[in-house]
Amino acid sequence: MTTRNDPIKHFFIWPALIIVLVISIFPLIYSLTTSFMSMRLVPPMPARFVGFGNYADLLQNPRFWHVTGTTTLIAFISVGLQYVIGLSVALALNSRVPGEGIFRVSFLLPMLVAPVAAALIARQVLNPTMGPLNELMSALGFPNLPFLTQTSWALGSIIAVEVWQWTPFVILMLLAGLQTLPDDVYEAAALENATPWQQFRDITFPMLLPISVAVVFIRLIESYKIIDTVFVMTGGGPGISTETLTLFAYQEGFKKFNLGYTSALSFLFLIVITVIGLVYLAILKPYLEKHK
Amino acid sequence: MSVRTLKGKRRWIALGGCLVWLAITFFPLYWVLITSFKTPIAVVGGPTYLPFVDFEPSLTAWRELLSGQRGQFFNTFLASTIIGLSASVLATGIGAMAAYALVRFTFRFRLLSALIFVVIAFGGFLLGRNVLGFGQGISLIYAFIAALVLAVFSSRFRLPGPELGNNDIVFWFVSQRMFPPIVAAFALYLMYTEMGKLGFKLVDSYIGLTFAYIAFSLPIVIWLMRDFFEALPVEVEEAAMVDNVPTWRIFFGIVLPMSKPGLIATFMITLAFVWNEFLFALFLTNSRWQTLPILVAGQNSQRGDEWWAISAAALVAIIPMMVMAGLLSRLMRSGLLLGAIK
Repeated sequence: MTTRNDPIKHFFIWPALIIVLVISIFPLIYSLTTSFMSMRLVPPMPARFVGFGNYADLLQNPRFWHVTGTTTLIAFISVGLQYVIGLSVALALNSRVPGEGIFRVSFLLPMLVAPVAAALIARQVLNPTMGPLNELMSALGFPNLPFLTQTSWALGSIIAVEVWQWTPFVILMLLAGLQTLPDDVYEAAALENATPWQQFRDITFPMLLPISVAVVFIRLIESYKIIDTVFVMTGGGPGISTETLTLFAYQEGFKKFNLGYTSALSFLFLIVITVIGLVYLAILKPYLEKHK
Repeated sequence: MSVRTLKGKRRWIALGGCLVWLAITFFPLYWVLITSFKTPIAVVGGPTYLPFVDFEPSLTAWRELLSGQRGQFFNTFLASTIIGLSASVLATGIGAMAAYALVRFTFRFRLLSALIFVVIAFGGFLLGRNVLGFGQGISLIYAFIAALVLAVFSSRFRLPGPELGNNDIVFWFVSQRMFPPIVAAFALYLMYTEMGKLGFKLVDSYIGLTFAYIAFSLPIVIWLMRDFFEALPVEVEEAAMVDNVPTWRIFFGIVLPMSKPGLIATFMITLAFVWNEFLFALFLTNSRWQTLPILVAGQNSQRGDEWWAISAAALVAIIPMMVMAGLLSRLMRSGLLLGAIK
């Protein structure tokens, strides 16, 4: 890499730097300072310094733990499924199944659908009386299933929509990764009469590990922010059984205008994400280094 | 024929799996499409699957939608288009410039300068708001300017402490995506309200929402464009430098045309993100500049089970992205990629 020095470099980088600084530093300052205060807009209440009071309240609130658990459950199960399905499809496409060109384009479509629209479509498909899925289920002899009105079914439905929408992203990234793997390793393996399963276990999977780790990381972080799908599909219900962290923060912040509490919640949220990210990377680091 | 091509039975199993996933991918899209052509009676009567065979298609939903009986669709569509296009064009442009600078030039600064920025920004804001009694908006503006000026000024001296470089800047940009958007959306709403009190209307305005979208797309644009620029052969630029072509002309005249596929892909990803974004639009707009996802989500609560109308509304949000993806992928496959290599 050659690097040159030219004062013009500052004109290239400062616009982006300023914009991101302006938009990121205020939320940080504002929410960090208010998270130590007790502050409500509706009904109006003067700001009062409470130290770690908001944080303590939240940590003692069973709803916070419930919501964190729900979000974790949705994120981990849906990302796990996305990775398994995405890897299988990417492997199939990379080994030239017939009609690969058509699959390659059409598999990406769900990614472009607005999550809000995807959730609305899901509500129709899962509708108890007018939806096709329940008709299929009845035809197969099942009773009318409460897809959106019973906790475990509702969680399953949300996970299904997440998988439908975001598996394309996993396919896209893994396919790009697969295409960069060199052919000569596979030629050598073919000469040694390695079975396809051995090839997958000893060549493809280890060589794909770095990009897999990155893809799963991105999806996990993004899944923790889930709100629009849940907002439209169940609104957090039944009760609060499908409420996620972002939806909880939205309820507290925008419905109750409980600013200090919401800010503390957002920082706990940030801590949760950071901890999960760090643990995830720490667990996988030895594997990544082994295969370097 | 590559060694990795599947043979025999495995090939058909793989094809079967792909077909199943294709059915899962397409069924919901097919369903929303046919539902938008059903009459209310056909929807309520239970699921039907094939137009002309088990239901008569009708244009009721679309006619109602286009005639404006179902809310301000045309305005919302226009707002979504204007904001989406301008935010993604600007983000791609500004981000590409920054990414280019980060690939081809060296930036060095001390960690201490960055710390000075954060401390002054925090301290200045608290000082202005709590001690000097300025409003939140004013304190924020002063604190920001003071922090920026002092941080840049401090970087002129040889400060102690670790030195940061290009990779740290990229990491800082990308790490902005870790920040839960609910924090940012809510605080931005409050900041925009404060700015509104100072006379700059930002809530429910074109500038406010576009600015927020540019800022939130920039990390991803910089990340993607950096990869594209790193893959470009540096020889062309070096030849131009020997001829004393100024850097800005190298960038706009040589580098940008060469990286067209990358720019198009990045633009597409940004546009899809902005077009479908829900949370910021929910907080930062209320009527005039409302975007499609908000309107579509609203259909749910307002209309109950009027699925024919809801389907048409959802399709208005879905179809433009599909058309754009089709157009751009065709563009990328044809001449553009070749043009870059030549």
